[in-house]
Amino acid sequence: MLRPFELCEPASVAEASELLLRHGEAARIYAGGTELILAMKEGLIHYDYLVNVKTVPGLAGVRLDADGSLRIGAATPHRVLERDPSVSERFPAIARMEADVANVRVREVGTLGGNLCFAEPHADPGALLQVFDATVRLERKGGARTIPLERLFVGPFETCLEGDELLTEIVVPPLAPRSAAVYLKFGFLERPSVGVGVAVTLADGHVADARIAVGSVGPVPRRMRDAEARLQDRPVADSEAALAEAGRIAARASDAITDLHGSAEYKEHLVGVLLRRAFQAALAAVAGSERR
Amino acid sequence: MSVGRAATRVDTPAKATGRARFISDVVVPGMVHAKLWRSPVPHARILRVDPARAARAEGVLAVLTAADLPVKDLYYGPAFKDQPMLADGVIRYAGEPVVAVVAETAAQAEAALALVAVEWEELPTVATLDAALAPGAPVLHARLVPAAHFRDLTALRPIPSTNVCHHWSYARGDVDRGFAEADLVVEQTFTFPMVHHYSLEPHCAIARVDGHGITVWASTQHPFPVRKELAEIFGLPLARVQVIVPYLGGAYGNKSYTKIEPLTIALALRVKRPVRLALTVEEAFKTVRRAAVRYRLKTGVRRDGTLVARDCEIHYQLGAYADVGPRVVQKSAYTAAGPYRIPHLRINAYGVYTNTVVSVAFRGYGVPQLAWAYESQMDVIAERLGWDPLALRLLNVLKRGEPLMEGDLPIDCDFAEGLGKAAAQIGWNEPTAAPRRGKGIACTIKAPLAPSVSSAMVRMHADGSATLLTGTVECGQGARTALSQIVAEELALPLDRVRVARSEVGMSPYDQATSASRSTTLMGLAVLRAARDVRDQLLTIGARLLESERPALTLRDERIVSPRGERTYGEAVAAHFGTGGELIGRGTYRGERGHAPLGGEAPFWEVGMAAAEVEVDGDTGRVRILRYVSVADIGRAINPRECEAQEEGAAMMGIGHTLFEQMIYDGGQLLNPSLIDYRVPVMSDLPEEYRSILVENGDGPGPYGAKGIGESGLIPTAPAVANAIARAIGVRITDLPMTPERVWRASDRARRRAAPAEGPST
Ligand SMILES: Cc1cc2nc3c(=O)[nH]c(=O)nc-3n(C[C@H](O)[C@H](O)[C@H](O)COP(=O)(O)OP(=O)(O)OC[C@H]3O[C@@H](n4cnc5c(N)ncnc54)[C@H](O)[C@@H]3O)c2cc1C
Repeated sequence: MLRPFELCEPASVAEASELLLRHGEAARIYAGGTELILAMKEGLIHYDYLVNVKTVPGLAGVRLDADGSLRIGAATPHRVLERDPSVSERFPAIARMEADVANVRVREVGTLGGNLCFAEPHADPGALLQVFDATVRLERKGGARTIPLERLFVGPFETCLEGDELLTEIVVPPLAPRSAAVYLKFGFLERPSVGVGVAVTLADGHVADARIAVGSVGPVPRRMRDAEARLQDRPVADSEAALAEAGRIAARASDAITDLHGSAEYKEHLVGVLLRRAFQAALAAVAGSERR
Repeated sequence: MSVGRAATRVDTPAKATGRARFISDVVVPGMVHAKLWRSPVPHARILRVDPARAARAEGVLAVLTAADLPVKDLYYGPAFKDQPMLADGVIRYAGEPVVAVVAETAAQAEAALALVAVEWEELPTVATLDAALAPGAPVLHARLVPAAHFRDLTALRPIPSTNVCHHWSYARGDVDRGFAEADLVVEQTFTFPMVHHYSLEPHCAIARVDGHGITVWASTQHPFPVRKELAEIFGLPLARVQVIVPYLGGAYGNKSYTKIEPLTIALALRVKRPVRLALTVEEAFKTVRRAAVRYRLKTGVRRDGTLVARDCEIHYQLGAYADVGPRVVQKSAYTAAGPYRIPHLRINAYGVYTNTVVSVAFRGYGVPQLAWAYESQMDVIAERLGWDPLALRLLNVLKRGEPLMEGDLPIDCDFAEGLGKAAAQIGWNEPTAAPRRGKGIACTIKAPLAPSVSSAMVRMHADGSATLLTGTVECGQGARTALSQIVAEELALPLDRVRVARSEVGMSPYDQATSASRSTTLMGLAVLRAARDVRDQLLTIGARLLESERPALTLRDERIVSPRGERTYGEAVAAHFGTGGELIGRGTYRGERGHAPLGGEAPFWEVGMAAAEVEVDGDTGRVRILRYVSVADIGRAINPRECEAQEEGAAMMGIGHTLFEQMIYDGGQLLNPSLIDYRVPVMSDLPEEYRSILVENGDGPGPYGAKGIGESGLIPTAPAVANAIARAIGVRITDLPMTPERVWRASDRARRRAAPAEGPST
């Protein structure tokens, strides 16, 4: 049962940060509330002050930079990302991933920032955004830093955010020409059990760049650089064996655990399956875009 | 014509606009709120409860343990009086209520729960069938007191000094000789896990005690049996116990028989205020579930395909208390061998206590668990004999008029017709369009509740409109609509001139239960008779008014019509009484006691047939149901759309336990009592193509030849899908649910067996 709390509505990021500083452990940022309020209702956590970031001007919204980077305000709901034309044209993999997050009610109010900051291991965006080398901007009163998304995640339900720090923006650089990204997930409970993001760049029949990230399986979503190395600079035509090898490496590196979603063994197997399928789909996507 | 029409449900406007009253809308002046402290451990002796700190918390009126409840008998239950309202010295499952806190607000009661101090000493836990049946296992109930409420539950056979609270057995022919005569004997063990009903509305009760007696607003499918039990517990005449049932937000058996009503009343007695106890979804998970089953099934068959012998050994994993489990055991075991002709048959069924959530009635009443085994095994037999599974069924399935059980109703439908329709719809003989696809079929039977009783009253008012008084509970199944249609049909009234009064035991005539797919058929008969009673009275009055012979009169468009003129009903009622007044019709259905092995005679058999086509992703194990066909033999559809809705809903529920649902225990701890971790079917799990076929031969005992419907749709689902999976990828799965990991593991094992030289595949 939800216990009473005070809802604060700051007018700026600085004011929000100040509120966090003032109330310390008793305060928490509140975006869509789809995680926070649920956990509070269950009595798992309680905060006396919820600091609403949805009303802070400039924190919600999507825009494209001159260099083609996608800048996403932390308080942007999933539903906006799912339907924004610039996202679906320039970053179709992100639009598709977003369209498949949770259900429409959660997507309508749940935000990308909330998803990343909650750091629930069973989630999608954290894995896919890493193959774009996305960065996140963290702000507090009187300071800001930008770090690779990868470094935001410290452990299950744990980020590197300081107590008075907010996530304000997610920046997604565009992929090189002749590239495509694909995200595939698998699961049968409410949340994903395994998610694999792949981005490939092709040049002269070779894989010029391969990026792989795995999420949901282990404690945090991670880039799989050893697995990427297996595919790097390979002729596309004979990537099959390397792909199986990359799958095995990624599976081992994924720190799979056994839980209600399935056994570690099964999840490792699925990492291999999804990696192969995602990679092949990405190759097909590059080929497809070149035919057009 | 009202019957046979897809009339819009009479409760649709109220439900669509939010005006329908559910129990959560009921506010009783002065009511206060209860919350329960539930045991974190599965089996323990309670050493001490310290209520002091909680009692001092803001708003708290009382903190009560079993010893504090002002009741004649702390224990209740439809089979045995084995379940205490609050744990009585011993905790028997994790989640069992131990202490009740009553406070001015629900939030205050909940806050005070954290201040309740309980000390206990843990006892060894028996959370599985194996543990509960092991020699020397701790016995959960040393002494069992039969409840003696129901005739069929008076002859229960507990095995003394064990956890078996009921052993039901049956035999005919000579099973050993049968196996000796068989050319092929197949023996397998199938399991079906614990499953939660998950109705949108969890259990809730509001109790008020005053000079008139007890009034309880309850979420129950059994207002009359609940009243009886409450009258006993609180030592009151039946007439002083009022049970009021608003619309139920889903039931599926989880609201059958007595649940939280006695405790809520006891609390109200103590605090001398009306008390509301509303469970959360998580608490509902810790209150009710379906019995898990392990079924060892051995079948002997001749080379020519005829079944000769079956030996059925079934263990039902009941929970910490029996609830209606013993009846689930015997009713379902009764049809454990399926709708087949089997000369030599032996059935041994055991209900076993374990330190887990209480298993109660659940749509299908144990039969889905058993059909899962026997219909899976039919396909295994077909495969071993090289037979087509449909042909094997057609050869062995009972024909109309053949006996299923001696002394009981002979088979009252044509299985061949239904199976033929299912097969035609799924394209049984056409090849699948792609690899890794397969089709499966299943054919099942369920015995109804017998004997049973229902009464109804129809009041025709001075303006010719009518009110139906029925104890049937509307739990979303559309009962009010179907029963109204019967009244409208008999009295030539438009549907909107018929109203169903809310269900209150003090006003409605007796009804045994809203369960067992019986309401439209058996309550329907009572309603039909009550309406005909009114009709009769109208005709008598009409004959006098119109100076006609009765046979010359008919009812049409709210009028009594004769060749010599006509009168509206209103005119007839007014003429009869002078001024106001109303005609009152009465109707009763009373089932036959009969001489069948379980007593009672089935008024009809509920049969369910299904065919499914699936596609299996061999790499992930994901099963996609491409097409699903459900066939119900229902005699006559009073409302075809509602019948289809029952079939669709049931099939969807069946898909849940087939592919996803299971309550997962670690030791005695339930790990997934929430919808995040317990997977119910959702819209995206719908089969790509779904068809339900209603077979209407007018051969049922109900109004206009109707038979019961509502449960049949989920009984054949699991085996139909498993059989389709087996034909798609050559892998037989014997444990539910068929999760992707399970399917992957089974197919991976099969792959390894087929090609042992190959390394692991990815
Ligand atoms: C039923 C259900 C199904 C789901 N399925 C999926 C799924 O399939 N895939 C998936 O990826 N996710 C899934 N989710 C998670 C969903 O995406 C998140 O609930 C949502 O994105 C969280 O956003 P929010 O705005 O509601 O966060 P909130 O609940 O408001 O906040 C979550 C946490 O993040 C913190 N926070 C929020 N914003 C900021 C900020 N700007 N700076 C610092 N801290 C911040 C809050 O303090 C809180 O601790 C599911 C959730 C539910 C309830």
